Amino acid sequence: MGSKYPPSMRGCLPLWTLLLVVAFIVIFFFFTSYDTSSQDPKELTDTYRVLQDVTIMMALGFGFINSSLRRYGWSSMAFNLFLLALTVQWAVLLNGFLEQLSPQKVVIKLSSIKLATMSAMSVLISAGAVLGKANLVQLVLMALVEVTAFGVMRMIQAKYFVKDDHVNMMHIHVFAAYFGLMVAWSFRRPLHGRMMEKYQTEKRSSLFGMLGTLFLWIFWPSFNSALLPNERKNAMFNTYYALAVSTVTAISVSSLAHPQGKINMHHIHNAVLAGGVAVGTSCYLIRSPWLAMVLGLVAGLISTGGALSLTMRFNNMLDLHDTSGVYYTFGLPGLLGEIAHIVLITLQDDWTKSTRVEYQLLLDIGALSLALAMGLIIGLLTVSSSGCWILSKSIREREVLSEVETASFHCCLFLMTHTLYSEVS
Amino acid sequence: MRLKFPMVAFALEVAMIVLFGIFVKYDIEQMDLHQPNTTNSTEVDRYLELHSLFQDVHVMIFVGFGFLMTFLRNYGFSSVGINLLVASLGLQWGTFIQGIVHSHGQKFYIGIKNMINGDLSTVTVLISFGAVLGKISPSQMLVMTILEIAAFVGNEYLVGEIFKASDVGASMTIHAFGAYFGLAVAGILYHPSLRKEHEMEKSAYHSDLFAMIGTLFLWIFWPSFNSVIAETGEMQYLAIVNTYFSLVACVLTAYACSSLLEKRGKLDMVHIQNATLAGGVAVGTCADMPIRPFGSMVIGGIGGIVSVFGFKFLTPFFTTKLRIHDTCGVHNLHGLPGVVAGVASIVAIALGASKTSTMAMQAAALGSSIGTAVVGGLITGLILKFIVRGQPSEKNFFDDSVYWKVLKVTKD
Repeated sequence: MGSKYPPSMRGCLPLWTLLLVVAFIVIFFFFTSYDTSSQDPKELTDTYRVLQDVTIMMALGFGFINSSLRRYGWSSMAFNLFLLALTVQWAVLLNGFLEQLSPQKVVIKLSSIKLATMSAMSVLISAGAVLGKANLVQLVLMALVEVTAFGVMRMIQAKYFVKDDHVNMMHIHVFAAYFGLMVAWSFRRPLHGRMMEKYQTEKRSSLFGMLGTLFLWIFWPSFNSALLPNERKNAMFNTYYALAVSTVTAISVSSLAHPQGKINMHHIHNAVLAGGVAVGTSCYLIRSPWLAMVLGLVAGLISTGGALSLTMRFNNMLDLHDTSGVYYTFGLPGLLGEIAHIVLITLQDDWTKSTRVEYQLLLDIGALSLALAMGLIIGLLTVSSSGCWILSKSIREREVLSEVETASFHCCLFLMTHTLYSEVS
Repeated sequence: MRLKFPMVAFALEVAMIVLFGIFVKYDIEQMDLHQPNTTNSTEVDRYLELHSLFQDVHVMIFVGFGFLMTFLRNYGFSSVGINLLVASLGLQWGTFIQGIVHSHGQKFYIGIKNMINGDLSTVTVLISFGAVLGKISPSQMLVMTILEIAAFVGNEYLVGEIFKASDVGASMTIHAFGAYFGLAVAGILYHPSLRKEHEMEKSAYHSDLFAMIGTLFLWIFWPSFNSVIAETGEMQYLAIVNTYFSLVACVLTAYACSSLLEKRGKLDMVHIQNATLAGGVAVGTCADMPIRPFGSMVIGGIGGIVSVFGFKFLTPFFTTKLRIHDTCGVHNLHGLPGVVAGVASIVAIALGASKTSTMAMQAAALGSSIGTAVVGGLITGLILKFIVRGQPSEKNFFDDSVYWKVLKVTKD
């Protein structure tokens, strides 16, 4: 092991961040303008509501869901807010540029902020996989690359595969999960005892994690219906039922798997959301709740099963350490959802117009595999090539996984109270 | 505590009920009076729109401000609990006194707008509460609520009706006012034991996480706060977009400065909790002006930088040299960014962003907000210290167990 302390962030982080801020301000100066069309107050309020719901999910939900590591709560929370703020600015610009593909001014509407916030989710999901193993500068780099890749992927899909905004966006789960896994894999290193000691939850931090889960759970129907123009009601109902079923499934399976029938909080954190993920792509297609409920059930089973069996296997066989279980929270249920969507589309086309079924099928599969491939390849590239020279500086930080004082938080107060506490007890 | 607090609270509540009984009527009665037999559907729509914004402000007051102050290890109960108490009293008193002032002593009708204004006037008290947190008793807090809101309404009347200055997010009239009022009260209630760090004035790992809940709620709903009294349509859109971009830029600069100023480039949780919100305050005054997104980002960025530097250098200076102990650092979160907001609005008007107000009037509004706040705060502080009394002794500062039934004083 190298030096006891990780390298100082003082020279690196402020410089990069301030540079980014200045760059954003300059770009915004030249390339953005307000939406000058007259604003219908009712529509404005409606869009603002949805934006607000999505922001709650991103800031509060994702902030807290990862704070269940007992010594990494501050970082997961604060890094999450930072990444959100950074990514939204970049995504607004990027989406604007990619949509018009000519150097016109980007018009900033509330809906474009909404879209950007949803794109930011890709970064927040992937950050869960590398949680505690990357410092803030690395995460900044990952965020910029990932959101760019995601934007490009959506543009390609919109051009050649599926026109629908909603379907494009819902590839986010698969894309982000595989991206995160690849980044985590590039950071791979066997975990030794001291790290495992920090890779633990405790009662209180687990409760904080639950807070995030609940916020995500409550607002997931808004997320799934955010980009739909008209079938919003159906999408909300379906998401709701799928979430409810996956919650029940997750809790019962978790209890079933334990020899004394105890429920594992870690499963609850992640698996209760699987239904929402799985039903995401097809939520506007499903006509009756039972279908959504079946999807929720399967997603809950897969997700809890993944949590039970895959974690250790990934760790041992692939050297892949997925800190917050991104793979079985978002990756597997996302895949399930995509497949369900393809099946549903095919069935539906069968009833209406049977000529273009194969073509449509091909396009959908193409879009899905594009998402997968982009996630895998860009995820690998992020760490291996472009990131190398920055990352090499802070590479030693990995050795001290999930440790507060090394994860660029100063916590003299915490240490002081901690020693006081141990003296007293 | 046993006799005094219940008496003060009951007396105030009875007074509120009596005042409401005499002066306050429903909005519906007014509608029936003016236009009988018409159910105006746009009226209802407007109500629904405002109601959702009103709820956002409510969340900010009760959850946001409440949890933002829970960072103290042994003062979490009081932070959330007294926050709730004070806010409930402030809502009633604020609704009442604003209605009375704007109707010039006549009966008035409450609608959603009055409730929003009542909410906003409560925010000033909660900001000031942050400055005196841990050093004041609940009954003193109740009296301070009454006095501060009265002063606030006076200042707001001056700024809005006489200067006709524009202050859509109320950064000067609420944030700067609340901060300087709180500082003045804290200056009067100063105790020498606060010069060095008080032994109870510490945070714990989890109490800081609780404070982050407050921060995030405030951060998420700040666009609602700045747009709630904006005119519908165009202005509201501008207010939302400007506040949003100001906030995101502020987050980046706050993290950068925090890392720059700490040893080995580590981040300081206090900065993250507070300075990330400074952008919302700083853009407040000119939020509904067409200052372009980059303009709001510049303002937000400056807000974040000013706030972090304030925490690092001004707060220690205030505590040791000026004998003002500011528990939550409201000066850095609300005071300084409020001043930035005033200056930014002057600059924006100088650059021709708005025609509704003039530079002189904006400057006058800023000056009168700070002036009224300091004078009002000093008077209130003296009243609290010598007439109301009951301030906890310095040993009991920052300690919940004085006022709450605590099972066991835990050390973590």
